[in-house]
Amino acid sequence: MEHTATYLGLIPLFPLIGAVVIGLLHMLTCKNNPLPEKLYGALACIGPLLSFFLAVVVFVHLKGMPAEQRFLVHNVFTWFAVGDLHIDMGFLADPLSSLMLLFVTFIGSLIHIYSIGYMAKDQNFGKFFSYMNLFLGSMLILVLGSGPVVMFVGWEGVGLCSYLLISFWSEDTNNVLAGNKAFIVNRIGDLGFVLGMSYLFWAIGAGGFDYLSLKANAPTISPAIGIAVCLLLFVGACGKSAQIPLYVWLPDAMAGPTPVSALIHAATMVTAGVYMVARFSFLYSEFPVAGSVVAWVGILTALLSAIFGMFQKDIKKILAYSTVSQLGYMFAGVGVAAYSAGIFHVFTHAFFKALLFLGAGSVIYALHHEQDIWKMGGLKEKLPTTYKTMLIGALALAGFPLFSGFFSKDEILFSALATGHTGIWMIGVFVAGMTAYYTFRMIFLVFHGKPRVQKTFDHAHEPPAVMTIPLIILAVGAALAGVLNLPGIFGGKLIVSHWLAPSLIEHHPHMGIGAEVLAMIASVVAVVIGIYIAFKKFGQGAEEPEFKGFAKFGYYKFYVDEIYNAVFVQPYKGFGSVISRFIEPNVTDSHVRFSSWLYRKAGTAFKVFQVGYVRVYAIYMVIGLSLMSLFLSQSIN
Amino acid sequence: MFAEGLFIAFSALSVLGALGLVLFRHPMNGAMSLIVTMISLAGLYALLSAKLIFVLQLIVYAGAIMSLILFIIMFLNIQDSDLPEEKGRFYYLLGGLVAIIPIAAFLIKLVKGIPATETTIVGNGFGGVKEVGLVLFQDWLLPFEIVSILLLVALVGAVVLAGKRRMIK
Amino acid sequence: MIQDYLILSVILFSLGILGVFSRRNVFAVFMSIELMLNAANLAFLAFSRLHESMDGHVLAMMVMAVAAAEAALALAVVILLHKHKGKLDTNVFSVLKG
Repeated sequence: MEHTATYLGLIPLFPLIGAVVIGLLHMLTCKNNPLPEKLYGALACIGPLLSFFLAVVVFVHLKGMPAEQRFLVHNVFTWFAVGDLHIDMGFLADPLSSLMLLFVTFIGSLIHIYSIGYMAKDQNFGKFFSYMNLFLGSMLILVLGSGPVVMFVGWEGVGLCSYLLISFWSEDTNNVLAGNKAFIVNRIGDLGFVLGMSYLFWAIGAGGFDYLSLKANAPTISPAIGIAVCLLLFVGACGKSAQIPLYVWLPDAMAGPTPVSALIHAATMVTAGVYMVARFSFLYSEFPVAGSVVAWVGILTALLSAIFGMFQKDIKKILAYSTVSQLGYMFAGVGVAAYSAGIFHVFTHAFFKALLFLGAGSVIYALHHEQDIWKMGGLKEKLPTTYKTMLIGALALAGFPLFSGFFSKDEILFSALATGHTGIWMIGVFVAGMTAYYTFRMIFLVFHGKPRVQKTFDHAHEPPAVMTIPLIILAVGAALAGVLNLPGIFGGKLIVSHWLAPSLIEHHPHMGIGAEVLAMIASVVAVVIGIYIAFKKFGQGAEEPEFKGFAKFGYYKFYVDEIYNAVFVQPYKGFGSVISRFIEPNVTDSHVRFSSWLYRKAGTAFKVFQVGYVRVYAIYMVIGLSLMSLFLSQSIN
Repeated sequence: MFAEGLFIAFSALSVLGALGLVLFRHPMNGAMSLIVTMISLAGLYALLSAKLIFVLQLIVYAGAIMSLILFIIMFLNIQDSDLPEEKGRFYYLLGGLVAIIPIAAFLIKLVKGIPATETTIVGNGFGGVKEVGLVLFQDWLLPFEIVSILLLVALVGAVVLAGKRRMIK
Repeated sequence: MIQDYLILSVILFSLGILGVFSRRNVFAVFMSIELMLNAANLAFLAFSRLHESMDGHVLAMMVMAVAAAEAALALAVVILLHKHKGKLDTNVFSVLKG
């Protein structure tokens, strides 16, 4: 079974090949005779499905190995070598990456299938799937990379695809601006990541720069450098996973097609930051201070975006803020060194958030691109499948008992409490209530009550099976995924945590069973109160309120975008114009102008020799020859 | 002794002719003195046992080319007013002399290094039509053909350049 | 002595160069070039005599052919010049002036 490791290289390769093939086909044929959509759809789904199959093979293989030796490494080639240092284009499968691998390829495949329906009749159908496959390939490189450098390749690749897909409908300037915003904000994060990586390399990179060597060398790192590395890497995670202060791009990223929001901006790419922190658990567990920073930033992000989410009226914006909020939970989890809880939340979140986005997508599809929840209502009769699946997703997101989100979120909150972060736990419970409130606000406004706009309601219809089947599959996952990590008090065995244990360095805190039950009851109560308020306010149908005071403040997202614009963007632009008006013409350009002036003057000076008479040129030639003769006469005889 | 006398006479004539070419103002006089140089050079060729070239120098150079030049000079019917004023030509001459003397000195220095050889007339096997022809058509066939093409091109070019009267109007 | 011929060749060549330098009359310039070609021919024949090989003779013939071609073209140019400018002055051509 030694050859299983060689499959690792193939897993990202399949979608990448798909991206190239589809991209070329699209480029060659889109002008004159577009190929049928079915061909593109089939080509696009082959790569992710093959990758999923191989991921299952790898997973099964790992499962057959002893727990402590569960890792496969495959170095495809030496990427570059400097002196003794070799950076390999290598892939690592261990329990952590294999779990990520499984659900990324699984959900990726489902979303590809769903997109065939959602993107039908789009004139850039081929381009869309080319980008999607490229994204999946990059994401798999990110997950499988055997070291930070390879991970960074995937990290940048998914950033690029995110940009390309956000501004996919590039006829609209707003979409392009949203893409630019995502890209630029991510650059800030990437700078942190690169700096952290360089600093880490400087500190302990000499002994090999892949995770296994780094893990072995981690205890030798000094505290100051270690904390700096952790925080810098976390800046990168903030950019990619939309945490304070770099979260602003994710809500705008909803400008892209809905499957993109589901795949990239909910299920996979945005969780890369959490994955990265878990990958570097050997560092973060060494320095709990850095971990606390991560946890606090995470929980504050969760609170802030939950507040924003309560006042949005665009269905995708609500989901986007809930994603930011859930990402905040995940960081809170990994921050308090409950890595397996954080990753487990990544896992369940991927299911229910992809489900919610795809459900929102099918609502939008059914209503011909209407996204305002105040223009929907009563859709549960028209879209029964979508309603049922989305309800499951909403329950999971809200953390209703026995649905998947409940177990993963509760695990995080309990870990926070057990490690002594009481403040985080309290905010977390509060946010859980808010989450329940805004999720069910959305569900009630969209599906219950009476239709608010009769015309769009009459035209609404259930989307085709190619879209509903992925919804059903995801709904099953969203409902049941929690069972995988059933905590002890429900008679479970924490399967996921035990599976992940060899990859992570964590201590499972223990509190009395009474405390655990109390904590659980607290969050359940918060959830129930949240749902009850939502039902009271919106369950019977409600009219769009006039936003006043705090609500208006929340609707406009505390004017954070405007503040960023005033504090960062405008001064930066002003700085740029100062440079272009004063420094550039007077300082930098003057050198250039001086050299051109010098050459022009020299040309004028030498012009006198160019008299224009051929015989004078002949004289110059002969003068040269005679000087040469004088010189040569010395050497002969 | 007789050959040396001839050499001195011919070389003196050729240098005089060349000086005349450089110094005479009117091109007609210059052309006549160049013919003197050509003919004396033909005599020098004969002294070097180059029988064929001696003949060709007389027929082609002194005959054909020079009469063509003379014909054109007369054809243009050059008046004194047509001639350029060449006030500064003695300064140019002096400056050119200064520039040329190092080259000439260098070349003469090189020539002095060649082993001294008498230039007695060599026998029938050297420089005749047959011998030169054999060399020309065996070893130099390709250059010969290329020169023939060159002549053809020159012919066409001369026709194009000189026959433009109608196009100019 | 063979050196005498070569020295004569150098003298004639130098006079040809001086002619090119100092004259503005196109005919004089042209004939000075012919003089230089003849000086070269003399050197060829002298060396041919020195080595008792006839390649120099062939080269002299080639030079004559080139001189003939040059004469045909140069005289055509002179005629054109005279026709256009009515002058025989090489200083008319000064478009290369910087």
